[in-house]
Amino acid sequence: MLQRLLIDRIENRILVGITMFVGIMILIGWVAINEGERMRSFTNQFEARSIEFGAELFAANCTTCHGVDGRGIGNFGPALNSPYLFGHNYFASINNQITAINAREAQLIAERDALMQEFVNANDARREQIRARRDEIEAILTGEDGLAAERAAVFAERDNLLNSLQPAIDLGYPQPTVNEDGTVTSVYSRLAFLEWNGSLESFIYTTLVHGRPTSKTYWENAQMVSWSQQTGAPLRDDQLRNLTAYIMNWDKGNAWTIEDALAVRQYPLVPVAGGGEMVASAPPVGTDVDAIVAQLDTVVGDPVRGEQIYNNQQRSQLGARLGCGGCHLNGVAGPAHNAKWDHFFNERSQLPQFAGYTVQKYLVESIVNTGAYIVPGYAAGQMPGDFANRMSLQDMADILAYLHTFSTVDPYVPPTPAEPSAEATPEA
Amino acid sequence: MSILPFPSFLDDIKEKGFKRAVFEGVDDIVKSITAGMNIQDIREALRGEAPSRRPNPRLQPHSDGFWLHMRPSFFHKDMTGVYPTFRLGWLSTYFVFFETITGMFLMVWYTPSPQIAYGNMVAILSNVPLGQLMRDLHRLGAEAMVLIVTLHMIRTFMTGSYKKPRQFTWFSGVILLFATFFLSFSGYLLPWDQLALWAVTIGASMVEASPPPIVGETLNLLLRGGPDIGANGLLRFYLLHVLAVPAILFIFTGVHYYKVIIHGHSLPPQKENIGEDTAKRVPLDKRVYFIPDVLTSEIMWIGVTSFILVVLCVWFYHAPLEAHADPQVTPLGTTAPWYFLWIQGALKLGDKVLWGIIFPTVVLLIFFAWPYLDNTPSRRYADRRFALIVCFAFMSSFTVLSYMGTAEYGVNTTADQEIFYYMAHEPAHNRMGIILPVPFEQLPAGFYTTREFTAEEGMKESAIAALNEALYGTELGKQLAEKLKTEAHNPAFNLDATNIRVRPVPQAEAPRLAYVMELFEKQVAKEDKELYNGWGAVLITDNQDNLKRIDIILVWEAIELENGQPVLDENGNVKPILKDDGTPVYNIAIDHVFIHRDAAYFMNY
Repeated sequence: MLQRLLIDRIENRILVGITMFVGIMILIGWVAINEGERMRSFTNQFEARSIEFGAELFAANCTTCHGVDGRGIGNFGPALNSPYLFGHNYFASINNQITAINAREAQLIAERDALMQEFVNANDARREQIRARRDEIEAILTGEDGLAAERAAVFAERDNLLNSLQPAIDLGYPQPTVNEDGTVTSVYSRLAFLEWNGSLESFIYTTLVHGRPTSKTYWENAQMVSWSQQTGAPLRDDQLRNLTAYIMNWDKGNAWTIEDALAVRQYPLVPVAGGGEMVASAPPVGTDVDAIVAQLDTVVGDPVRGEQIYNNQQRSQLGARLGCGGCHLNGVAGPAHNAKWDHFFNERSQLPQFAGYTVQKYLVESIVNTGAYIVPGYAAGQMPGDFANRMSLQDMADILAYLHTFSTVDPYVPPTPAEPSAEATPEA
Repeated sequence: MSILPFPSFLDDIKEKGFKRAVFEGVDDIVKSITAGMNIQDIREALRGEAPSRRPNPRLQPHSDGFWLHMRPSFFHKDMTGVYPTFRLGWLSTYFVFFETITGMFLMVWYTPSPQIAYGNMVAILSNVPLGQLMRDLHRLGAEAMVLIVTLHMIRTFMTGSYKKPRQFTWFSGVILLFATFFLSFSGYLLPWDQLALWAVTIGASMVEASPPPIVGETLNLLLRGGPDIGANGLLRFYLLHVLAVPAILFIFTGVHYYKVIIHGHSLPPQKENIGEDTAKRVPLDKRVYFIPDVLTSEIMWIGVTSFILVVLCVWFYHAPLEAHADPQVTPLGTTAPWYFLWIQGALKLGDKVLWGIIFPTVVLLIFFAWPYLDNTPSRRYADRRFALIVCFAFMSSFTVLSYMGTAEYGVNTTADQEIFYYMAHEPAHNRMGIILPVPFEQLPAGFYTTREFTAEEGMKESAIAALNEALYGTELGKQLAEKLKTEAHNPAFNLDATNIRVRPVPQAEAPRLAYVMELFEKQVAKEDKELYNGWGAVLITDNQDNLKRIDIILVWEAIELENGQPVLDENGNVKPILKDDGTPVYNIAIDHVFIHRDAAYFMNY
């Protein structure tokens, strides 16, 4: 029986074999010509799946600070579902209209002026023509349906837009400015503000990988931490890509509305107040510790400004960002700042090399001459040595005043080695 | 007289004329390539004519050529039919080459690193022309190869072809069988998706059971390259897959073939006298020469097989690619590859060492030793009742064990997890949760319940109203809202503060959703013991413009459980757990998925 199943005649074997191979080639060819469409469809589908995975990760990890709808939570995290992040310019079309009106006006005025020049030497017939054209131009410039009216309408629309955007501006959307020519300049894009040269996607991805190392200093309640496994955090690279895809999926392109800007609950906070003050307004403090300590008596330190300088929210009087808080937080990268004062008073002053030091002198020395003493447990050479040239006497006084707010002892009394802080008098 | 200082082709032309010289030149080249057959010989062979010159040129490729020296120059006539070989040996060999070629194609786009392996898979599918087809062919070819090699072994056993003098042929065949298994298994990990990671984790953890513990741990460490499968493990599996195991396979394929040449193909059992082996003494009238008959037949068979594979891969089969491997998330229903399911099934019988290591090792040893143990001379079926019983017993116990290895058998999963899996599991093993393929447009935001489908026609509205009554402003409602907020991270939904109410599924607008809700209801009703007075709900919310969030909610009254099974009283009823004031304690479970407009789940599965 089974013997019969064999294709007995050689011609038939060859025929079947050839048919099969031709069939395979036709099929592969058929698949090949449809590959473009198939690959596109797979890509679409894969991106959609990626967004789904990203949504899952966002719901589990990000909503506590950025909100379920991605519109931010006050003092916790900025909106991601925001026209500002995606760089939508609400004034783009109005600016175009105004620029067009201005250009048309300039062109007409130039034409009129040229005609007037010509008028002087023209014959009567030509003068008649010129008069007619001039009236026409005047009508276009100032008539009822003319450019002036058109401009007024556009300006009204612009002011309307500015007004309706006002609640968002109050919340932190960058303040647009109206230029002399009537156009509006605004830093409508987060990336432009940060002078980020890459794509938005790379910005989001990079933020996810590295977090914002000093964001705790200007966000009261939360810090953007790193999420990447590269840095010991929980998410794999593909998960970060999925999250990025999900966040990018909020993009509405040109369809962002004013409502979107108004729906945002929290715009990004700006870490440094007074950006652009790069001019030095006081001489540097120098490296002479004793001289600085002596001069400190002549100035009054402001702890509030001291905190701002410390935490990078304000520049020093020499226009530098000192960023002390970047390292001196919780004793991770540098010794902690909050217990410093008492710590010196109680323990460090017991060391023989600090005999006769006040806390103030110790701190001044630590800042302007960073290598003088290395706190055990921290590596030498980590703290930059140029603070003497980046801050003024007033800055120094302010920072010391800020540090002293954590303290219970008097800054100006050298500690008595035998009786530490228990006897110390709190500052008034 | 030569025009050049040495004899040349030009001399030939001068001597014989252009046409004849060219023909003879080509004829010589053909003869070198075929190691003995010129154009005329090939033509005669393909026409099925007898060779016109002596000695028979069709024997020369066997003696002078590399490839055919490992094939016999003639077969016994009784060996050329479908029976007794079913061509399984030849097809096994063909798949070695088929897999090598498609595998090399895939290697070009693959890097064995957890960081990019999955991305490579996506690139093969999204950016490499014919990439998907090649991957499908490679994967389906691998499954087919396992199947065909296994069938080849069963056939060899049935016809008693392992008997003297072919014991070692069988022995080398068992090596090839296990090399095939391991080749297929080591390929599983390479895509670095969930299927890969967990199938291999299960497989590799069997190795860990090898006694004594120090051996098991060391073997496991060597195989995985660390306590868990990571970068090292992937690289090791890759090298096993592309170098080590293929090397073993190629070497033993050579050994296996050589033994076939030495001993010839064993004839159908009834064609020989008992105890005789006449494979090498084929009478002249019974000879079928390899060229052309067997050769054309074999080429036809690979044509047919390849064509079937291509047809399957174009229309019916796509190699699975699940979500990226995640060691933190164990998918429900994880199993070993199907050809190792019998070990997984055996593991459910008890001790890991006994069933996971000793049992498979004993099976392996029996396979190897069988031809040396069974030294009865007769190959006739009637004389081999015991051996055939053993064979069928093996086959049926392997089938049963394989069934026991599946996730359906003997794995206790709670009713809520079963239902969530049924409703919303990720596409895996070519199946997925029933809600995923619902068209995006048929997922209108809202809160829908199975109670609507439990109720009789005409009572639906009141059933929904009753549920709304039971939820809003009540303890149960607060419990549900809290659970949604803290566990499912869906604080947007708040039963106390919003006006979202359970509403009927809009049948006209979303017939598919209605159908899914009906199936959902049936599933909940099926588990009415464990999910006492239970009901399900689907909460659909808009997440982004093209993205919906779907929360699947199960609410039931707590009952007494023992080992996950309900405790029944003498009437067969469950025992509810009540609060002090007599009200029921509610259990709530929530699972959720996101569905994107373009995810197109219905397309690929």
